[in-house]
Amino acid sequence: MKKILASTVVLMSSLCLSATAFAQTKEIRVLLANHPYGELLKAAIPDFEKQSGIKVNFESLQEGQLTTKLTTEFATKSSSVDVFMTRPLQEGKMFNRNGWYEPLTTQDFSDYPKNVMSVAAAGSAPFLVPLVTEWQVLYYRKDLFQAAGVEVPKTFTELEAAAKKLNSDTVAGIASRGKGAAAVTQLSSYVYNFGGQYIDKGVAVFDSAPAVEAIRYYGKLLGSYGPKGVTSMSWENIMPLFQAGKVAMWTDASVFYGQIVDPAKTQVPAANFGIANLPAGPKASSPFLVTSWGIAVAKQSKNKELAFKFLDWATSKELAAKGMLSNITMARSSVWKDPKVLESVNPGLVATRAYAAENGNPLDRPYMSAVGEARDQIGELVIESINTKGESANLAAMAKDKVGRVNDLLKDSGEYGQP
Amino acid sequence: MNKNNRLQNALFYVVVVFISLVVLFPFLWMLSSSFKTQTDIIAWPPKLIFSPTLQNYAKVFGEQDFLKYFINSTVVGGLAVGLSLVIGLPAAYAISRFTQRRLALFILLARLMPGISFLMPWYIIASRLDLMDTYVALVLSHMLIALPIVVWIMSAYFNSIPVELEESAMVDGATRQYAFWAIILPMSGPGIITAVTLSFIFSWNNFMFSQVLSMEKTKTLPIAVYNFVSYAEVDWGGVMAAAVAIMAPAIILTMIFQKFVVKGLTMGAVKG
Repeated sequence: MKKILASTVVLMSSLCLSATAFAQTKEIRVLLANHPYGELLKAAIPDFEKQSGIKVNFESLQEGQLTTKLTTEFATKSSSVDVFMTRPLQEGKMFNRNGWYEPLTTQDFSDYPKNVMSVAAAGSAPFLVPLVTEWQVLYYRKDLFQAAGVEVPKTFTELEAAAKKLNSDTVAGIASRGKGAAAVTQLSSYVYNFGGQYIDKGVAVFDSAPAVEAIRYYGKLLGSYGPKGVTSMSWENIMPLFQAGKVAMWTDASVFYGQIVDPAKTQVPAANFGIANLPAGPKASSPFLVTSWGIAVAKQSKNKELAFKFLDWATSKELAAKGMLSNITMARSSVWKDPKVLESVNPGLVATRAYAAENGNPLDRPYMSAVGEARDQIGELVIESINTKGESANLAAMAKDKVGRVNDLLKDSGEYGQP
Repeated sequence: MNKNNRLQNALFYVVVVFISLVVLFPFLWMLSSSFKTQTDIIAWPPKLIFSPTLQNYAKVFGEQDFLKYFINSTVVGGLAVGLSLVIGLPAAYAISRFTQRRLALFILLARLMPGISFLMPWYIIASRLDLMDTYVALVLSHMLIALPIVVWIMSAYFNSIPVELEESAMVDGATRQYAFWAIILPMSGPGIITAVTLSFIFSWNNFMFSQVLSMEKTKTLPIAVYNFVSYAEVDWGGVMAAAVAIMAPAIILTMIFQKFVVKGLTMGAVKG
């Protein structure tokens, strides 16, 4: 027995030693997301190492895992992360409030749309560089539109009429996310177009008349002309239906376009899929245009100089152009004007992006630390509205109650009333 | 009487078939999806007849280096279970023979407490000691999973072995340690196999500790499955094939040792 114990102790301590043996070279640690741009960086990192002489230790993680890992490492103040990919709207507010982002004072941000930068900066110096943007669009089936004699809708009234006309026993007129919290981002543009907002100057306001009207409209559309069981559907469930030809129109983020028209993934001929701006509402036409991914330097980093070198390389125009060529909708504006790049990008994407960059709203969800909880609250309204086809007598009262709860969340984190 | 019996028999089989269908359905779905292309997976209505492809498995073992993750999971699980046996068997013996109820409860607490409460401490310890991305950190954290299982199963098992056996050995001059080593352990095969199987599977499936304590070098299988889940895109075929590959060892292990596991779990159950 003693022998076994002794030998395990020796074994363990020798393993510890070997782990600490190499520590003091020029290296940085980078956390990437499982995202096409993360893949692109991974493939290009050897070039960067050669040019700069900096060794890059990278890990690539699924987005939820990435957030958990970053939170654990930063919260315990013992992180060795230097640079990391980050989701500004989902975790940005919390990370920034906790002081986990290094302010970026020397970078040039003139190449990014203004509305995008308003989130990346939050009043003070920018704390992340936007990598990828996405915006809300209307995907539709050209062939079904033609067969039914329907024009591409430009307003919400036309959208509802088209959904009604295209709806049949085998094909749903329209689909959009109906699964509570997941639907909140896609509902946002509807709320904006009706003249409402989720949060205004740090106060929840989605119980306003326009916002409630938008939630009713969304519920009526999906409840009357949506696929069966839409209240349990997010994009993972709707995309396959759309690809299988069971849905005539789908409003969601532009990021799915590449997969929809990929012949290896779709049963409908790619030529039958169209993409258009989200129709205008009674008050506005302001689809969301959000930074889904950015990249930042960790405040705790001990190698900031090297980290900034990596950051500048990872956000360079050259790599952004490469990203565009691999179907990633990059945040930089200049690559959207580069004729060489545009040759290989779908014109529908270019047009809808130009529209959203001009008119878009940079938020697609309540921008606060407790995003997840707030999304759950608003999600319940979405489900109530869909289940009653927008007719619910309770909706206004429910919205008021939920606003109270979200305001409590804002108060808990000291964000209430803060612009 | 006879008729009644036959009816009962038929009913029994109907229930058995029904339950197995419910239990096996997700598994069969996963298995069939792992041989489908992305288009076939999302096809509606679902395709029961399709031309199978091996491309998903090629991705799992080719593009993604699942062999490495297999080795990682095996090393971590194997060492965690092995060390847990070294510490847990004598502990279980002591708990059983000297009726250390409180100690046993205390050990069980480690199993009852949600794993997440250990996460931060583990991370702080590992990063301060420079143990991140090493087997040491993973093995130690996985012992937290394996050790309570070993102790609990084995103390119940030791309870079922008559004390008289050791007593007679000790009358003949053997020390307690020798009696434990030479008499009790050789009789405990089924119990040990049960403890090993269960604790290995729990370690094999563990997600939380591996997620935070491992990086590229020591990534384990449950974390690696997520390599197929990208932003706004899920490679279902890859996920399914990886899931099949991960489940296979656990299923094979359980099938081989099933007889022992059932025996080991119920051993000591009838003894007050």
